[in-house]
Amino acid sequence: MQRFEGQVQLVLYPFALNPTSEVATQAAWCAGEQGKFWEFHHMLYRRQELWNRLAAPLERLSDFARDLNLDTTALKSCVESGRMQDRMQADKVSGQQLQVSSTPTMFINDYRIVGTQSEGELVRFIRQELNRVQVQGQ
Amino acid sequence: MAKKSKARVHTLSPRQQSPQKPLTPRHWRFKLLIGGAVLAVVLGVGGLVRFLQQRDLAPHLQGTGDMHYTQGTPGAPVVIKEFSDYT
Repeated sequence: MQRFEGQVQLVLYPFALNPTSEVATQAAWCAGEQGKFWEFHHMLYRRQELWNRLAAPLERLSDFARDLNLDTTALKSCVESGRMQDRMQADKVSGQQLQVSSTPTMFINDYRIVGTQSEGELVRFIRQELNRVQVQGQ
Repeated sequence: MAKKSKARVHTLSPRQQSPQKPLTPRHWRFKLLIGGAVLAVVLGVGGLVRFLQQRDLAPHLQGTGDMHYTQGTPGAPVVIKEFSDYT
């Protein structure tokens, strides 16, 4: 993102495909309420192996939250209240409208990319799109 | 005895006297004042609704207009929407 400063915006749609991921998604948004969404988001990926096979991962995710100096009681209470469910559902609907059926799926403007891409490939796609937009603007 | 004839004085009501009387600048000022007040109330209510909708959102989300976390430049020529699952 820093490479394309001023030219690119990333909009994240957490797209939970199973109950474990749903808990993680809600925990990330609850961490966001405490101002640490991105930190928690990156931690979820870095420590994926430690929680992604747990049927009830909230305790483990609370441990991660503690490492980020978050209020773990508030985070657990936020997840358990279910008040992030609507947002999660809304993102699922957005994905369905765009016919997203697997993750990761990216849209670079209107150009769809399905599956994991290397950084180099992503950079190439972004450059292509920037060139296309610039040519259109002339 | 002859009936006293009543002299009829035909008076016009103020409205009849000047049916097409143009509005004075004072009337216009009053109307403008009322219009301005109504506009201020509408804008105030709109602003209040917007504030109430956003006050519970985390700071990162405020002002984005939707409920998604973003990185980079708002209004950038290239927008990447990433749908990803944490597992």
